[in-house]
Amino acid sequence: MTAERRVANWLGLGLFALLGVAAVAPLFLIIGDVYIKGIDAINRLGGLWHFLTELPPSPFDEKGGIGPMLVGTLYMTALGALLGVAVGFPLGVYIGEMRREKFTNVARAGVNVLVEFPTITIGLFMYAIMSLAKEDLNEWVMKPLSHVLKAAFGDWVSWFIGPLDGYNAYAGAAALAIIMIPYVALVTASAYASIEQPLREAAYDIGGREFNALFVVLRKAVSRAVITATLLGTAKIAGETAPLLFTAFGNFYYAPFTGPTGAVTLWVWYAAQTPYDVQIASAYGAAAVLLTIILIIFITARIKR
Amino acid sequence: MSRVMNPKILGVIAAVVIIVVVAVLLTLPGGTPPPAAAQTPAATPTSPQTPRSLSGALTGGGSTFVAPQMFAWSKKFYDVTEGRIQLNYQSIGSGAGTAQFLEKKLDFGASDVPMPKDRFDKVAGRFIQFPVIIGSIVLVYNVPELAYEKTGKYLNLTSEVISLIYMGEIKQWCDERIKALNPGVADKLPCRDIVAAHRSDGSGTTAAFTLYLSLAYPQWNRTVGWGFTVKWPADEKAKGLGAKGNEGVAQAVLQNAYSIGYIEYAYWAKNRDKYDKVGGVALIRNDNDGKFYFPTAENVAMGAGAGLERYVKKYGSNPAPDADWNPVSIEFTNPPRGYPILSFVYVFLWKDYSAEGYGDAATKAALLKEFFKWVLTEGQKPENVVEGYIPLPREVAELGLKALELVKP
Amino acid sequence: MLGLVLVVLFIPYLIAAYGLLFVKLRWGLRLFGVFIVVTIGLLVAMFLVEAYPILARDGVAVFLRTDWDPVRESYGVLQALVGTVLTSAVAIALAMPMAVGVAVTINEILPARWRGLFGSLVDLTATMPTVIYGLWGLFVLGPLLQGLVNALAGGVVMASPYTLFTAGVLLAIMISPYAAAVIREGYALVPKPVEEAIYAVGATKFEAVLIKLRYIRNYILGGFFLALGRAMGETVAVAMVVGGNFARLTTNLFESGITISSLIALQFPNAAAYQYMVPALFAAALLLALFGLVINAVAIYIIQRWQV
Repeated sequence: MTAERRVANWLGLGLFALLGVAAVAPLFLIIGDVYIKGIDAINRLGGLWHFLTELPPSPFDEKGGIGPMLVGTLYMTALGALLGVAVGFPLGVYIGEMRREKFTNVARAGVNVLVEFPTITIGLFMYAIMSLAKEDLNEWVMKPLSHVLKAAFGDWVSWFIGPLDGYNAYAGAAALAIIMIPYVALVTASAYASIEQPLREAAYDIGGREFNALFVVLRKAVSRAVITATLLGTAKIAGETAPLLFTAFGNFYYAPFTGPTGAVTLWVWYAAQTPYDVQIASAYGAAAVLLTIILIIFITARIKR
Repeated sequence: MSRVMNPKILGVIAAVVIIVVVAVLLTLPGGTPPPAAAQTPAATPTSPQTPRSLSGALTGGGSTFVAPQMFAWSKKFYDVTEGRIQLNYQSIGSGAGTAQFLEKKLDFGASDVPMPKDRFDKVAGRFIQFPVIIGSIVLVYNVPELAYEKTGKYLNLTSEVISLIYMGEIKQWCDERIKALNPGVADKLPCRDIVAAHRSDGSGTTAAFTLYLSLAYPQWNRTVGWGFTVKWPADEKAKGLGAKGNEGVAQAVLQNAYSIGYIEYAYWAKNRDKYDKVGGVALIRNDNDGKFYFPTAENVAMGAGAGLERYVKKYGSNPAPDADWNPVSIEFTNPPRGYPILSFVYVFLWKDYSAEGYGDAATKAALLKEFFKWVLTEGQKPENVVEGYIPLPREVAELGLKALELVKP
Repeated sequence: MLGLVLVVLFIPYLIAAYGLLFVKLRWGLRLFGVFIVVTIGLLVAMFLVEAYPILARDGVAVFLRTDWDPVRESYGVLQALVGTVLTSAVAIALAMPMAVGVAVTINEILPARWRGLFGSLVDLTATMPTVIYGLWGLFVLGPLLQGLVNALAGGVVMASPYTLFTAGVLLAIMISPYAAAVIREGYALVPKPVEEAIYAVGATKFEAVLIKLRYIRNYILGGFFLALGRAMGETVAVAMVVGGNFARLTTNLFESGITISSLIALQFPNAAAYQYMVPALFAAALLLALFGLVINAVAIYIIQRWQV
């Protein structure tokens, strides 16, 4: 090996390492900042359990929490992620596997464009649909459904199913799902597109039916990427604010999901911009909690594999 | 089942989450859901409504400025009613709040400006508006040579000078016109470019500020005008700086030497010592009585009372709750006495909720009247007013109480 | 009824599409493609309907003007488009090398024990509420960049901490985890035989890295588009640091500016108070969508030629 190549080796790898560190240093700084301020805030505002269940602090309060908002975020993110993966995954397979067809290119272009839409417009879109659909939806679907379910399971059903207000958790979850779909689809498509021909042919040979080939035999090859896609998409929508403004609206009290629902991000959005210390502190605490939840989901998912 | 693993994992996680959510909700005190105001009449108490038996949830939205105060009121009211009445208010912007109220998506709207004329004409007579709290706007500046800590003095400014700064006509701190107003520190004024900080987002603060400049200095009205967002000539002709939110402008002034900016009173009051280190806050001259006023709650309340007086003198009676309040707002702005830059937060309510098509209208109207009655009486007491807001003078609060009587039933 | 139809038909559609997967796979998959195209069509249709008033009044002038004067109801969105292009370009130019750097660092340079942790932390930042990024940009990054740029240039090049450049750098930090996640996956999936072959011919580690990167160029491209989309659509964080200069066109990176997404985020809450502002904002969204389509078309064309 010549000296040039050796020098190039060290310089090149060094450059990559430097770039990697440069990418990550600010991220670590921000995370560190959030956790330091957040943990301090949670302690001052009443301790972890209190913080996770209590109502948020007004400028007069010394203690408070993010209870209602946490519940709202968990619910809407779970629903949104479920729907996002349910649609995004097959969509990704379509774009990645069936690249020959013309329509696939249309779909892929569409997904690339959808990724870049300002998320506030997705929220407005859901708002428009909700406005159009609310009356009839309540008449024909929600009221009968809730009567049936309440008779079967009891009154607590009305926390979840019932006549919908103009603002409700389901509109918020739908908006989040639309935002998540392109992320899941694009990463899944990359995964499927990168399977080399020999492997694919082998899979078809073994699998017999196309369904088996694509989903059963190849699953080891793509599951890592797909799980990454899901996690990334879930993380993204858990941190979204703008699409929830006109769909879920926000709520600082515990209330049924059929009405305005709170979200941790909405609280951070509001509280970080007031001049009142107790609210600013709770914003950092809320951000720290959000990060931790996602971290737990990430770790569980990666361990389970 | 032979499917790929990941939907399963996510399904499991989602199921866990939903179970946790249900568990939490069920263990809350009073595990049965509160009768949400929009549900079927079966939830309405059938006995004649007395305050003790009223319960439900209200939804309002609008002005970002009033949000902390509204939330404080909401929480105190929640305590006062022992958890029976939940008032959910979100800051979606005065314009959005007005629009959503008119679309019947909100039970009430809150706005930094009265209902605009074109919209008022469409719904005249069907709704009422009244002020609930007062805010005031201060001019902070960052000029290290003139820091309050150093000189012990704050700058004097007038509407004319402020207008000319934001119009890009006065470009440097050592301008003669600024010197003329501040003879005591005239020699210390540096010949540096002024950086005029303003809002980049649409804002009620900007609306109140530019309305004041429009009324006090007609030249401003001719060139720029007033509104939630305006085109600032300083951006083109001199040095302008756009920042998001009151906190953005507050930060911008703290971080940029030789800058000036307009922010809500609370954002200055909370950081007073920081501003004193790099500059300070300006005393503003009231063009009507010629005195320079320092921003304090008393001076602002003086202005509010004087404004109402002027309206009554001009129009002969108090403003009617279902009238167009734009002329009222003009009389409140740049008042005859007191600190001249103030803003009101107006609340919109329908007169007849059942005619407007709201579900469960009787309960809703009763809840709203309860809440706002409390806001206009108890809510104005010092222990219930958040720092940075100024309570309504007695006469102005009375307007609101009278207005509430028009809400059926 | 239209709304009800849209919402109610959605569930059976999904069930049918899933069912078809088991019976006739290809048709089932196509249904999902159709679904997304219809959704996007509806979105763009909504933009058109909402933007109609200002298009009727001004025609395409709204896309070519650079004005924003609500008092006189005069709106133009060209300056926002230019801002989007500039900030996205800066963001991508900085983020792609960093993302590749992260992928290489994780897979080649770090010892095995640290990989998982490092990787998870990078992913985690994708979750950070964008408001926190905005606040960090407001308090830390903006002044830092201002000091740095002015020091390097030896004069006052950046008059304000909040400029298009600040927004671009902040965006780069925000989007690199997305590109990095995609590229990392691809990198880890390089088959063993291929890797062994590369080392068998005597490549140094650095040369091996370069070859592998070329091998996974599909993933890099995927990461590129994901990151680009994210950059163009980012609203809140950009809104806090971009400077809010929307009445003037500026091509100088070191001046305050505005992007389409942040324009909508900043102005929408109070837009309803004006007659033509909401249509103008939707016209801006329409412009962004069109621009995205154009970029896609160009990219696909280039790729076709490159891969042939």
